[in-house]
Amino acid sequence: MRRWAHRTHLAGFLACIATACGTGNRAPLSAGITVTDDAGRAVTLARPARRIVSLLPSFTELLFAMGAGDRLVGRTAWCDYPPAALAVPNVGDGMPPNIEAVAARRPDLVVLYRSAQNAPAAAQLERLAIPVVVLDLNQLTDLGHAARILGRLTDRKQSADSLARVMDSAAAQPPAPSTHSLVFIVWDNPPIIIGAGSYLDRLAALAGGRNVFHDIGSPSAQVSIETIAARDPDFVAVLSDSATQPSFAARPEWRVVRAVRRGHFLLLPGQLFGRPSPRVAQAVRELRRRLNGEGGAP
Amino acid sequence: MDRELIVAIRDLTCRYADAPRDALREVSLEVHAGEFHAVLGPNGSGKTTLVRAALGLLRPTAGRAEILGRAASEWSRRDLARVVGVLPQREDNLFPQRVRETVLLGRYPHLSLFGSVRETDRAAVERALVACDVRDLVDRWLWTLSGGEYQRVRLARALAQEPRLLVLDEPTTSLDLRHEMELFELVRALVDARRLGALMITHHVNLAARFADQVLILADGHAAARGAPVEALTRDTVERVFSWPVAIEPFDGRPQMIPLRQRKDAP
Amino acid sequence: MKYAALLGVALATVAAGLLLGPASVPAGEFLRSPIVWQLRLPRVVLAYLVGGALGVAGVGLQALVRNPLADPFLLGLSGGAGLGAVVAIALHLPGPWALPLAAFAGAVGAMVLVYRLGLIGGTGGAGGELDPRILLLGGVAVGAFAAAITTALVSLAEAAELRNAFLWLWGGFSAASWTTVLVMLVYAPLPLAVIAAAARPLDLLALGEEPAQYLGADVRRLKQLVYLAASLLTAAAVAMSGVIGFVGLIVPHVCRLLWGRLHRTLIPTSFLTGGILLAVADTLARTAVAPRELPVGIVTALIGVPLFAFLLRQWTVS
Repeated sequence: MRRWAHRTHLAGFLACIATACGTGNRAPLSAGITVTDDAGRAVTLARPARRIVSLLPSFTELLFAMGAGDRLVGRTAWCDYPPAALAVPNVGDGMPPNIEAVAARRPDLVVLYRSAQNAPAAAQLERLAIPVVVLDLNQLTDLGHAARILGRLTDRKQSADSLARVMDSAAAQPPAPSTHSLVFIVWDNPPIIIGAGSYLDRLAALAGGRNVFHDIGSPSAQVSIETIAARDPDFVAVLSDSATQPSFAARPEWRVVRAVRRGHFLLLPGQLFGRPSPRVAQAVRELRRRLNGEGGAP
Repeated sequence: MDRELIVAIRDLTCRYADAPRDALREVSLEVHAGEFHAVLGPNGSGKTTLVRAALGLLRPTAGRAEILGRAASEWSRRDLARVVGVLPQREDNLFPQRVRETVLLGRYPHLSLFGSVRETDRAAVERALVACDVRDLVDRWLWTLSGGEYQRVRLARALAQEPRLLVLDEPTTSLDLRHEMELFELVRALVDARRLGALMITHHVNLAARFADQVLILADGHAAARGAPVEALTRDTVERVFSWPVAIEPFDGRPQMIPLRQRKDAP
Repeated sequence: MKYAALLGVALATVAAGLLLGPASVPAGEFLRSPIVWQLRLPRVVLAYLVGGALGVAGVGLQALVRNPLADPFLLGLSGGAGLGAVVAIALHLPGPWALPLAAFAGAVGAMVLVYRLGLIGGTGGAGGELDPRILLLGGVAVGAFAAAITTALVSLAEAAELRNAFLWLWGGFSAASWTTVLVMLVYAPLPLAVIAAAARPLDLLALGEEPAQYLGADVRRLKQLVYLAASLLTAAAVAMSGVIGFVGLIVPHVCRLLWGRLHRTLIPTSFLTGGILLAVADTLARTAVAPRELPVGIVTALIGVPLFAFLLRQWTVS
């Protein structure tokens, strides 16, 4: 008995030492959490995060969805879902983050979107000894991964993992048989469309919409109107929170595109479609509904 | 002999903007057809200012400048260019051009806005080229010409304007003896043959004395002397104006100025 | 003889612009295809008009500042146009014409500002005359100032849309339609005519301001009119199609090499040559990386920079 207890203690003691050595620095033992974020940085917390500032709407949604929403002490101006997020203090538009506003919230974890623009912000927060976790969120597949990391950092592992499973399975669905074709137009002058590298392309495929520019690998690209007209999509999708047609629909040169001429627009609300969101399944359903519910056969 | 009055300047006073003193003070000058006038004086005495004021580029603060009886300021630039041909001191040559094109520029005051070059224009250019003895150079590029040839081409351009008056601002500054003499001879010949008026600013006191009918010596913006060379170029005047001792010796009926050495112990 | 060749090349580039493109139009449908008649033809025509406007503006400006290396966009107009465009986007001004009108207004604002600066330190007794050297310096300063404000706006407001504004600024004929062609056809003739009428006085201006006056040019009025006309042509070009550099710089040079420096021929040939250059650049922009499209300003820069270096060597050697 005593020998077994000895060994257990010894093993535990050795495990703690190993963990301490693994984190490399002065993290206290046993409750320390260490993850590697998407920038290859080791993020170490002594305790699960209690005061979190989220600098991307998708992260805010994820945190609420895994039950950690009450720990948010700061969000960006764009974080508008769920409605409870609006009660969290606003620290600015986050592009790039306002370091002072973030630091004023005294967070013990900042969740930052990985981009070249945000790299200096990560460094500055580190200098202030504020832990930062830098995460990708460009594709639907990034959602599950982000949820898992955040789950570990907030000690909400179980709900995070089940959330991740739901999102991963939605994202991993095979593309539905395509019923209609569409083009996503981000900007009209010059025309900028969404290509295969973007989550919107994947979202469309899951909903049975074929992106006519799926052959372009990058997330977005500039094309001519005549290319759009020649590929003749059934629908023109734009991210828009209003119910009116986009202004370029009235321009004579755009009316060469059949979908514009016939007014076959998909006006997709930014809240659901503007970024990879935990409500992937809902987005896909909504898109499918609009593709099939909108009048006009191809 | 009643020669037509081309330029009449009376008590002209001019001052540049923000200048502390007048550039010209009460200067008078009359140039008739067939007269060669020279304007002499040290640097900064107002010679170029006089020309600018006479041709309406500078507004006088007092006095009058008239061309052919009309105030200089009332002439349109185009009309004035048909009466007065000017060789300014400095000119740019941004792009390579041939002699033919350059002389043709002199016809521009005669060309209508969109009209093309006519036979009369081409004939005037021919005459100007011949008169200045640059007919052989007509297809040469300007930048290949010697200093003397270049000045004669510019003179041909001024002649192509078919003016009544030639104004030359230090035309012989960088020319050698031969080209300098040729230019003076040419101007004199044109004045005599075509009864033009000529107003030349020059540093060459002696050649001015030899060739000009009238001389105006400016000092500090005012007229130090005026008249025929033999009257205006006295030793007193020249020494005072140029601040250097000289001797005046007659040659060919004209006074010639010989600067004296300053150092007493010269060998 | 060379003129006939120029017209031939012009027609050939129009044909190329109609026949080539990222979309393939079957031969049988060619005459009825809206892609050809509603998109490609107005686009080629607009490229011609804008290229011609820039070419003539370049001629006028180079004569005005007496520097053959001047480009119409040295006058601060591109900075002003960029600022106008960004303001329009930041304020969410409605309507498809908001962007071009705001860019035009910005360019004209810059023009007025540079004009006022250029009046400081005039030469001659008349006072208040444009000094061309100050025009260039003032243009660079106003352009830099406008660019600084533009950058500040971009960093303060919604980043994504404004980044797209910069893509617009790089130049392109995506918005070409018969409407825009009509606007250009109504607007451009007056400033073009002003510069054409100034052809002979501009020949004289090359000698210097004072010699030009002695040869009959009303230099004071000439500078004002040519500056305004060149700026208005450039402002319209920017409003239609963003900042397309090098056309106003290269085209007068090429035409001078081929046809000589007299403005009576230089102006019309620069118009045609500028049109050809821009029509070719636009066709390349549409087809080189199909289905994607390059901004036209990049194509003209890629063609223009080596050409400019070559011409610069020629000019300094001669």
